[in-house]
This record gives sequence, C-alpha cells and structure tokens, in this order.
Amino acid sequence: MKLAYGAKSDVGLKRTQNEDRFCADPRLGLYVVCDGMGGRNAGEVASELAVEVIHKHVLEAVLNGNLPMVGQYDPTFSPQTNRLASAIQLANQVIHREAQDQPAHAGMGTTVVSALIAGQVLSLAHVGDSRLYLIREGMIEPLTADHSVVGEQVRRELLTEEEADRSPYRHVLTRGVGVGATVEVELGEVPVMNGDLLVLCSDGLTIGVKPRDMLHAVRCEWNPQAIADRLVAMANAAGGEDNTTVVVVSLGEETRQGVWRRIWNRILRWR
Amino acid sequence: MLEVMTQGPKVILKFNESILKEIEITQPEFTIGRRPDNDLVIDHAAVSGHHARIVQVQSVFFLEDVGSTNGTFVNDRRIDRRQLQDTDVVTIGKHRLIFRDEVTNGSPSGQPKFRDLNGTMVMTGQKLRESRAEQKVGIVQIISGRTDRKEYKLTKRLTIIGSQAQATIKLTGYFVPKIAAMIGRRGEGYFISTSEEVKTIHVNNKAVKGQADLKDGDLLELKGVKMYFYLKGPNQP
Repeated sequence: MKLAYGAKSDVGLKRTQNEDRFCADPRLGLYVVCDGMGGRNAGEVASELAVEVIHKHVLEAVLNGNLPMVGQYDPTFSPQTNRLASAIQLANQVIHREAQDQPAHAGMGTTVVSALIAGQVLSLAHVGDSRLYLIREGMIEPLTADHSVVGEQVRRELLTEEEADRSPYRHVLTRGVGVGATVEVELGEVPVMNGDLLVLCSDGLTIGVKPRDMLHAVRCEWNPQAIADRLVAMANAAGGEDNTTVVVVSLGEETRQGVWRRIWNRILRWR
Repeated sequence: MLEVMTQGPKVILKFNESILKEIEITQPEFTIGRRPDNDLVIDHAAVSGHHARIVQVQSVFFLEDVGSTNGTFVNDRRIDRRQLQDTDVVTIGKHRLIFRDEVTNGSPSGQPKFRDLNGTMVMTGQKLRESRAEQKVGIVQIISGRTDRKEYKLTKRLTIIGSQAQATIKLTGYFVPKIAAMIGRRGEGYFISTSEEVKTIHVNNKAVKGQADLKDGDLLELKGVKMYFYLKGPNQP
C-alpha cells in the first residue's frame, strides 16, 4: 500500500521548549510520536532517545530477521506487532538506564504512540496519552485509549470524555516509557484500507481540538502535510497550552475519485 | 513542564527474614547506626554508632558508609558510596535493609504526592487495571471449500484469511489471494474486514464491503469457501 505522510511539531504558546519528538519512515511504514517528561531538558532527552531507539530497532529487524525480541512475546499478535512492542521495551531500557546514570536525567520518561504498517495490516503500540486516530469514510475513531488516571476512569465509565477534559488530574499518566525497569505496552492490530488516514498526535493537539474538528480539518485540506499544519494551527488557536506534534499518514493511492470527492466537499462547504 | 510523580522512597528493616520496621526517607540525609541520634537506630553490637547514611541528590539516592567497623554491603558487595536502586538489599551487621523507590518499581503505599498539577506526571505504584472478565472466543468452522484445517479458534487479535504465510486460515485452492479477508477482535466482539484483493464478501448471503461486525452464528462466504462463525465460552467444551 502506498503511504504518504505529513508532520509538524510545534512548541505551542505557553512553553519555551519542545519536548515532543516524532519519526516518520515510509519505507519501513513506521510512524512514531513521543511526548517527553522530566525536569529541565530531560524530557527532550527521553523523547529523542525513544524515537531513535524505536526506529533503529525496527530497521535492524528488517535487515536481520533473527534479531532477538526484547521483552515478552505475545502470541496473540503478529511478529510485526511484537517487533513494535520489542522496540518500545528496548527504548524503555535505554531511557531508564540513562536516567539512573545521569542524576540530571533522573525520573525522565516519555509517552509513545507508534504505528507500523505492512500491507493491509496496521500494528500499533502505545504508552501514555499520545493518541492514534483512524479516519475512514468520513468517520473518525480513536485506536488508542490513554494510560492516564482520567483515561482509565473513562474506560471504566466512571467519567465522561468531557469531565475528563476538565479534570485537574488529566495530566497524570499511569504509564510512561523509561520510568520503570520494564513497561507495559498496549498493542493493537487492525486491517487498513485504501483511503484510510491515520493521525498520531501528542496531547497538545487533543487538549484543545476535538475529534469532530479534526475531521473537519481533514475535509478542508488536500494532502497530509497541509492537514498536519492545519491541526497544529488549530491547537495553537485553542490556547497552545502544550507542545503539539501531529503526524498524518494517508494510505493508498490518491485516486481521482478521492480528488473529486474533495472538490465536491469544498463546494458543499461554500454553499 | 512535565514531571514524574513519586511516592516517598523507604527502607524496610529485616532481621532473620522478619520485618522489623518500615521507614520512609523524608530527609535529604538519612542516618543509620546504633546510637539513638540516628534516623534509623539498629541496636546491635555489629552496628557502629554512626554506621551509614542515605543521601538524596535530586531524585537519586546514594548510600555511604561513614567509617563503620564492619562495613556496609549492597547486594553482598562492600561499598563506600553507591547509588541505590529499587529493591537493593543493604546489609549492615546481621540486619538487612531493603531499599524501595517507587519511581522504579511500584508497590502501593502511602498517598501520592502531587507536586505540580499542570505538568504531566507519571503515577507509579498504583495500578489501575481493568479486570478482564472471562471472554468468549470466536470459532470458525469450515463448511465447504479448500482450507488447511476444518476448524479455527480465533485467539489472535487479527486473523488473516488467505494464502500468505502469515495467514491463520489458509486457503489452499488455486488462484487464491494472499489476503482474502481479515477477522479482527475488538473488546468483546469480532468483526470481518474485506481486503484489497477481495472487495466483497458475503455474510448471511448479504454482500459486505469494508467492515462488518460478526454475530454468533453468522455464515461467511468468500472465494468459494463457506464458513460458520460462532462464539464459545471459555470453559465450554
């Protein structure tokens, strides 16, 4: 399946440093967004390390089919999905060790949301509150559920999405990469189709921009880069509370029908 | 600013495998010895008056021997100064101290401390986990058509139906696509998805394009293969 992507990372309006990092490699079909945490510049160190280690591990696995898996192998998932988990587990080890060796980096960690696309199967793995959305046939669906206190409460239906957005505890994560000696990575596997669009993002986007507004942005733009730019602009327009990083991946050929549909959508909007 | 939320580190004092006490380390310099002016008093002849101390440097803890007679050991190695990590075992005389630091490993104790609610934090030591109820598992039974087996248990998150190596339900006829369809598992249920090669499949004789939820007892047909889908309880034979 042909992959095209657009990406943008922005410091936002309230912060002085951008602790988000991302990676996009269409040859591997790998897309990653990390949101670092930790005092001074430790957050940047953690997210940078995570992106680097994950990319390198997935690349090495392509070159060497016998590359050992890090962490536990989950037989209910494909080798490809387990490889993604392995990469995050390895990143966890590297960051955790670095945090222990360097007192200035103690306690650093990062969120990770990652997608690995091979043919018609999307493998996804995440830790923390960075998210992955699937947009298909004009509908948006979250493929990840946040590992945060409020996220877990929403999952148990103790809190609505709206209440969660207002909660003072919305930034409290229940999992982070590099925080402990090992990390629990949540995995997923879904079929993907021509015309699907994936959005990977840090919480800077989701604080201020709701999924229906994201859908609107997708309808208004022509290519993944323009969508990413627009989403970041929307996050800043909504307050720019945090660093915002968006990676937009479009799957399959940009068919003529798709172009005509977009033109038609524009016409509908103008009316 | 993002931050990691920690619960107070502590030491657990043990003697002959019985726990004598648990003390939270709240001061930047935590002293250990026989004399009563120490933060942790171990009244035993093998322990020096001022034996060792735990010093906090930012969020990292170091154990230092302060000139004891019988020495201080971490994981059975004699040390002068050493960084402590969660679950390190410190030996002083015949006593053992277990160092616990919730940042690196979590066992719930005490209330989490909120330092800055506007910064992102990771809460450790408290596991909020869904207790997954015993789930029903999907079964695909082949009614007719060429496949490598007659029945498949859908334990994978995504089951591929086709001729490719990674396919679970392997179609063995001629001219079969690499991926004919995929059955995904989502929460409690299952869904079927068409592929790029096979745009239409039939569920209960109705054409499906894209994705459709599967129900107990559905009849599936694709590429000349007829299958019966049903759900089985975890303890059902």
